[in-house]
Amino acid sequence: MAARVLQQCVRSLGRPSLRLCPVNLALRAAVAPAVTVHRPFSFAADSRRTRWLGQSRISSVGLLCRQYGDLPPLTLETIKDRVLYVLKLYDKINPEKVTSHFMKDLGLDSLDQVEIIMAMEDEFGFEIPDAEAEKLMTPEEIVQYIADKKDVYE
Amino acid sequence: MGSRLPPAALSLKQFLQRQKVLGVYRSMLRTIRQVPGEADRKYLRDWAREEFKRNKNATNQDAIRMMITQATNHLEELQKSLSLARS
Repeated sequence: MAARVLQQCVRSLGRPSLRLCPVNLALRAAVAPAVTVHRPFSFAADSRRTRWLGQSRISSVGLLCRQYGDLPPLTLETIKDRVLYVLKLYDKINPEKVTSHFMKDLGLDSLDQVEIIMAMEDEFGFEIPDAEAEKLMTPEEIVQYIADKKDVYE
Repeated sequence: MGSRLPPAALSLKQFLQRQKVLGVYRSMLRTIRQVPGEADRKYLRDWAREEFKRNKNATNQDAIRMMITQATNHLEELQKSLSLARS
């Protein structure tokens, strides 16, 4: 059952297979009646034909290329955008300059700073140890730190 | 406890205490991350934040020490419940 559906998909993908296939009329008649009238082919139970259709599928669909899942590469610009985005979401604060100090300019306290760094950890997916986290006091420093850790070429 | 600006006038003991408090807060937030369920996580985060912010201006060292112990106990409880729930 599944093989039939698969071959129907294959046929819809690879029209060239129509011409090239050595049609076996007897085989066609022997197999169960075709579901769709505008399809000249009926379902093939022949293993040879299945294999052959499989091959033609590869050539007609195109080159099967390998695809690896990965995140888009980080650049300084994207890091800065993401950091500012997280800050905007966090306390509804939008640092006007990248160098605005959390405590002196934006009026946050150390607890807020801890939360901000945790949010950055969540955003970028890696842990920032305590000793280094407490030194990050401006968005600029955060961007620099992440660029260092992630080997973003400046 | 968590002072607004780190003034140069903090004594060494106060400074160490402050670092401890921030460390406990950070561990608390990290542990809360592992809680399943977004609503629970939000509730716990808000609770922790409230508790810490409420006592932000305490100055008595012994009181602060007591609060740190309390927070550590809460943290351990949370961690134990999480490991139980996971097993």
